[in-house]
Amino acid sequence: MAYNNELVKDCLQFERAFCTAECPFNLDIRDFIGKMQQGRFNIAYKTYQQSVGFPGIVAALCHEPCKAVCPMKNSGGAISLKMLEKASMDYARSKVPDQYNMPQKDKRIAIIGAGISGLACALRLTTKKYQVTIFEKSSRIGGHLNGHNSINIFMDDIKLQFSHETFTLHLDTEIKVLKNRDFDATYVATGKNGNMFGLERNYEGAFAGNKAGIFLGGSLLGADTMQAIAEGLNAANAIERYLKIGAMNQPEEQSGTKLIYESIRIIPKEKINPAKGNSFSKEEAVDEAKRCLKCACDACNYYSPLMSYFKKFPKKITEEVEISINPSSLDGCATVATRLISTCNHCGLCKEVCPVNIDTGEFLLKSHRTMRELGKMPWAFHEFFLRDMEFSNNEAGLTKIPAGYNKSKYLFFPGCQIGASDERLVSESYKFLLKQFPDTALMLSCCGAPAEWAGNDPIHKDILDKIKTAWIEFGKPVAVFACPTCKQMFRKYLPEIEGEFIYKIIEEKNNIPENKFTGETVSVFDPCASRHENELHDTIRNLAIKAGFKLEVLPMERNMAQCCSYGGQVSVAHPPYAEFMIQKNINQNNFPYITYCSNCRDIFAKSGKKVFHILDFVFNLESENRIRPTVSERQNNRLKLKYKMLKEFWNEDTIIESSAKKLKMSSELKEKLDKNMILETDILTVIENCEQNSRKLFDPDKKTFTGYMQIGNTTYWVEYRILQENLFEIVNSYCHRMKIEGN
Amino acid sequence: MNGKKRLICCKCQKELEMKKVDFSYLGHTFFTDLPSCPECGLVYISEELVKGRISEVEMQLEDK
Repeated sequence: MAYNNELVKDCLQFERAFCTAECPFNLDIRDFIGKMQQGRFNIAYKTYQQSVGFPGIVAALCHEPCKAVCPMKNSGGAISLKMLEKASMDYARSKVPDQYNMPQKDKRIAIIGAGISGLACALRLTTKKYQVTIFEKSSRIGGHLNGHNSINIFMDDIKLQFSHETFTLHLDTEIKVLKNRDFDATYVATGKNGNMFGLERNYEGAFAGNKAGIFLGGSLLGADTMQAIAEGLNAANAIERYLKIGAMNQPEEQSGTKLIYESIRIIPKEKINPAKGNSFSKEEAVDEAKRCLKCACDACNYYSPLMSYFKKFPKKITEEVEISINPSSLDGCATVATRLISTCNHCGLCKEVCPVNIDTGEFLLKSHRTMRELGKMPWAFHEFFLRDMEFSNNEAGLTKIPAGYNKSKYLFFPGCQIGASDERLVSESYKFLLKQFPDTALMLSCCGAPAEWAGNDPIHKDILDKIKTAWIEFGKPVAVFACPTCKQMFRKYLPEIEGEFIYKIIEEKNNIPENKFTGETVSVFDPCASRHENELHDTIRNLAIKAGFKLEVLPMERNMAQCCSYGGQVSVAHPPYAEFMIQKNINQNNFPYITYCSNCRDIFAKSGKKVFHILDFVFNLESENRIRPTVSERQNNRLKLKYKMLKEFWNEDTIIESSAKKLKMSSELKEKLDKNMILETDILTVIENCEQNSRKLFDPDKKTFTGYMQIGNTTYWVEYRILQENLFEIVNSYCHRMKIEGN
Repeated sequence: MNGKKRLICCKCQKELEMKKVDFSYLGHTFFTDLPSCPECGLVYISEELVKGRISEVEMQLEDK
């Protein structure tokens, strides 16, 4: 498992709760409380009993060190664990210990001292069916407990816990010299100031003495009552290890915890006081248990949508990824984590919230790359986006410098999606930049994010090379971005290119119409790629405030920003997750959003959220009735943008060949094609292929033709009628990933 | 295909007949009977089949 160990070595998922770390018995309080919260008193009692050995004694005498470390202590009071433990005893159906039907073992253990530590050791060993003999110099068992007022209750508890177990007891038998030839091991628990028999502790193993087979513990070595019981129980484990493998190197019980728990997640709640006496009623016990936070490090699962959706922590994720990359199945192709890997938005929130900075997102990105290289990543998850990227960089790509210049101070890199969303946002931005810096060059291109997300290094490298070549050719200008993802990609893969946001320049030049929207309340939705762009967060808010808006803070903003669902282009790999993300985001509040990522804007708009791009307000382009473009329109908009820019800024005329003019279809079908990510250009390609080769079927009843063609890896089907030359009525279209062989 | 839909291959002018058709996806191959042109082998897959069984099998293979 070398692949993942390094990543999760510091993960705090399995760190003990603060209370458990303080408990002498290491009682799993999260487990105990969970049962109490459900009112399952019997099973809660069993958990308690198995941890503490003598629940009646411990419940009475425990001094509750857990209370001092309970995060609720200043938020209504520390959880009353002792009273909850007592409630589990009061309401358990049966307090009789479980009886284990096991044969007696042939190993014999001597216990010197019938105090509570020796008895605890005897209890654990006899439960495991070892033969135990206790030697007690006085005439009674119980050691220092005998001076206590509740000694009778304690004796009843001891009797109860030994209900099914037997041991040999020699009272009034003082051992003066240890001769362990009749016994396989010995536990010396002779109490405070008791006989050490000249032994010393051997700190290479828990409770180990410096003679083979001799163990020491309890008040003899300074333990208080609770510790003495706990040591007796734990010493039994060290003894058993010795009996089994002959080694006295049982590791010491770990103490402390590295757990970190965010105090902002604590909701104050007053502690429950019993209405009658000093004991909880059943209902009171459940209510008090429900106050418990069950402290655990779950920040990733609490905040990261991916981890909360899959209910998986980094360790589990890395294990599943490991067996997907290096499968142990016989056919070698069990890839259980394929969809999980492909569902990460790479938004960086998991690392942001992790107290030890575990970057599960980066791990999944690397895994994606490996899976692709191994040929295990389904091509279908990213084919559409990679083809779309190719379109942005070729048919719709444009790299130019204003006439009369061969070097520029700035290079406007708006990103491919903003022009796809609304070409005016790019043309107006460029016009604005040229006014300030007339030599500003333009690059209409994709930054390569889809290739990174697809784990496709060769394609990604190609794009980065092209960008770098243009940048050098233009004299290494400062890149001006409109899209936070582009800037993030440049920072990661082209760090030599200095960059800034157009929004900053707009703010500096005071270029936003002021107070046009006075009185309207909106929320700024920060795109996930802006997570660490603190200055940008402020700039956008300043611009919105200048426009007159009142801002309502979103719960997940700035460094806690969540992905709109577009990141990682997960919508093909996991459509339900994409929808989950969208709903989670648009329901953060009911105010309209202002964002500065065109994908956030269009994705939310598709789900009915009122949302604007900040540039809408800068350039007076906002419209209440804006219709979100379909996947085909997004391509058309990019072409329109390219030709508009060529005409407007370089006075170059170009003829647009639009597939839309050759196809007629209903608005319902357009919507369906958009949903299924079928491009009108692909439909036209299928039809042209059918018509050229007569590879089509005729339906005499409907009078329609049907044909299919594989484009890339996807097979597209089109049902159509010929209206006239180069004009087709599209009746239906669908596609599938399976390849039809022999066609 | 429900068996009632009549389709004619435009190239061969033949009505489609049920025939074994091979498929592949992610390195797995399988076959099923589908309406095909008896002469050139041009096949027909309905949207129902694509959205139903084909989509199911695609998902299963992606998760395998």
